[in-house]
Amino acid sequence: MSWELWAEKYRPQSLDQMINQTEIVERLKSFVEAKNIPHCIFAGPPGTGKTTAALCLAHDLYGKGYREHFMELNASDERGINVVRETVKTFARTRSIGEIPFKIMILDESDNMTSDAQQALRRTMERFTETCRFILIANYSGKIIEPIQSRCAPFRFSYLSREDHDRYLRHIIQQESVKILDEAFDAIFEVSGGDLRRATNTLQAAASLGRVIDAETVYSVIGRASPIDVREMIALAMKGNFIEARQRLREMILKYGVAGSDIIKQIHIEIFRSALPDQWKVKLAGAIGEIDFRLVQGADEEVQLSALLARLTEAGYELKRGG
Amino acid sequence: MHAAWIVKHKPQTLSEVVGNAEAIQKFTEWARSWDKRIPKKRAAFLHGPPGVGKTVCVEALAKDLQMELVEKNASDYRTAEAVQRFAGLASQYGTLFGGSRLVLLDELDGITGTADKGGVGAITEIVKAAQCPVVLVANNAYDPRFSTLRKYCLLVEFKKPTVREVMKHLKKVCVGEEINADEEALKFIAEKSGRDVRSAVNDLQALAQGKKRFVYEDVAWLAERDRKDVIFNVLRTILYSKDSWEAKKAVDAADMDTDMLFQWVYENVPYHLTDPQDLAKAMDALSLADIYRRRIRSTQDWSLLRYVLDFMTAGVAMARERTKPSGWIPFRFPEKIQWMSRTKAEREMQSAIGMKIRRKCHVSSVRAVKEFLPYIRIIFENNPEMAAGIARWLDLDETMVNYLAGRKG
Repeated sequence: MSWELWAEKYRPQSLDQMINQTEIVERLKSFVEAKNIPHCIFAGPPGTGKTTAALCLAHDLYGKGYREHFMELNASDERGINVVRETVKTFARTRSIGEIPFKIMILDESDNMTSDAQQALRRTMERFTETCRFILIANYSGKIIEPIQSRCAPFRFSYLSREDHDRYLRHIIQQESVKILDEAFDAIFEVSGGDLRRATNTLQAAASLGRVIDAETVYSVIGRASPIDVREMIALAMKGNFIEARQRLREMILKYGVAGSDIIKQIHIEIFRSALPDQWKVKLAGAIGEIDFRLVQGADEEVQLSALLARLTEAGYELKRGG
Repeated sequence: MHAAWIVKHKPQTLSEVVGNAEAIQKFTEWARSWDKRIPKKRAAFLHGPPGVGKTVCVEALAKDLQMELVEKNASDYRTAEAVQRFAGLASQYGTLFGGSRLVLLDELDGITGTADKGGVGAITEIVKAAQCPVVLVANNAYDPRFSTLRKYCLLVEFKKPTVREVMKHLKKVCVGEEINADEEALKFIAEKSGRDVRSAVNDLQALAQGKKRFVYEDVAWLAERDRKDVIFNVLRTILYSKDSWEAKKAVDAADMDTDMLFQWVYENVPYHLTDPQDLAKAMDALSLADIYRRRIRSTQDWSLLRYVLDFMTAGVAMARERTKPSGWIPFRFPEKIQWMSRTKAEREMQSAIGMKIRRKCHVSSVRAVKEFLPYIRIIFENNPEMAAGIARWLDLDETMVNYLAGRKG
């Protein structure tokens, strides 16, 4: 039996197989027909098909031997300015052999490049436009410098709709003959929020338990993969025990690798579910939003979230004084 | 329960003392020669750097030869009279019961200043007239003050033991404490101590007490310890200064890595700024400092560093408005740094697996660790068949498979 990670095994190979982002896919298909593409930025949250779309585009454009014609670099792994200078240049300067006169360079997670590296990239993009087209993939296009943005066609990817999400999962379930209850789909969508990579990983981990997948199975997988317990952490902070609250936060982040963005999302939900006075909910939403924004800018998750915990400690104190 | 290990595991006989075999032999022969007649040199002058076992040797020798040890140290040398008092007591006569006596004058370096005038002279007189073996101990026997005294003494030089020898002693301590210690960890401590056994054992206790297993990751952060005092001074200023300029200046004096200092401040703020409003303000200042750190990373514009420093020093110092002063609160070592060094091996393993995933799944290794690893782990713990397939597909080696399945080794 051949087992792979389903997130990879069921990655669409061609634009025709992509089930979501229909408008984007249509535009990309028109590039294929014209046999020409501009430099592009694919921006959007994780698990929404950015890398897949780039790979499919290359596949459809070049056909069978498409791997010869594109190169994939991940800025998170090799983000130095020298990599851009050397690797990108070497690849970009040589002409492609075949019907299409340019190659494609896919720069994944390019919002992790330093601005110096981006400046170098900008010059390279200009110099080698004839022989190489760039697809920059990023979660936040805002972190890509203005001169590059203005040279690229922007594509904005968004989370999958519930319908597309379920359709994709059902395809896998059929192929892998997994037994699953409908309630499990609700559970998976609740935690994935339309991030297909997470949804697929969750599904596969749940399937590995070897029983019919119900909502509880899904929750137990999530609980183990990403144990977020913010309720108690919030309670500790508001009771004035900041140090213990920070300890909980550290455990989640350091020990279990829970993403800061997931933690803050959960804090936001919990605050509004809580019995706090409504004015306070709004006040705290402001604080949460500010910290969330700082996280998006790439600040340290533990430092930022513990600053938020300190705000909660302060709020708890003021509430007690009747403020 | 928490006796100092340096005392608890002190060598009881000369055979247990680490290193300095030659010196010990010379010293023992001299001491034994008293059995026959009073030797020409009535005192042995043990000298050498701190923590190499000079005093321990004297104590062990007294035990081995069943002699009564009369011990004096710096505070007893203050004046000539004080020296005379114990001189008369100890060196003129044998013990009441016919046993032999050994007089130890420790920490001779401690004789300083005018109050000790005559101190060294008096000791010289005691040595000249001694009726029982006298042992002098000092770091530097060649101090000009000792030039006359030296003539009447057998000089015995103690050298630093080798790293191996220090490790041997540490290992013995670990066995006594039922700690399973890695060679590498002990080696690090031995080297770090500058082959000072006393400081090595103290470090060992600080780091290993209460542990069953003691590994390299537990000690790696010790590399920073030399800077402890510097850090503590800076922290004190940042957390307690009422003057923003002074708080900023503290960092210049320290000349230390900003990220390291940030971790120290971040760790300690909540213990020292206990008022919730002060705490929130201080943590917000750190959050802003962190934002500027991030901006430096992405723009590589290091001139922004001044704002990082502003927020993490003055910003934190100015947060103190309501917190009531309390007693002495110890500074804590940044937990994150300890955690990072403790989990170094595990993180390396994760990143190696991340590299394998990256090759197949079009993600960076960093993201692979975050987004794939937790799920893969569940699969490996529960479904050997699926796990085996994935292991083959990703080309994982045996140690990786064992790690993912939660098996050791």
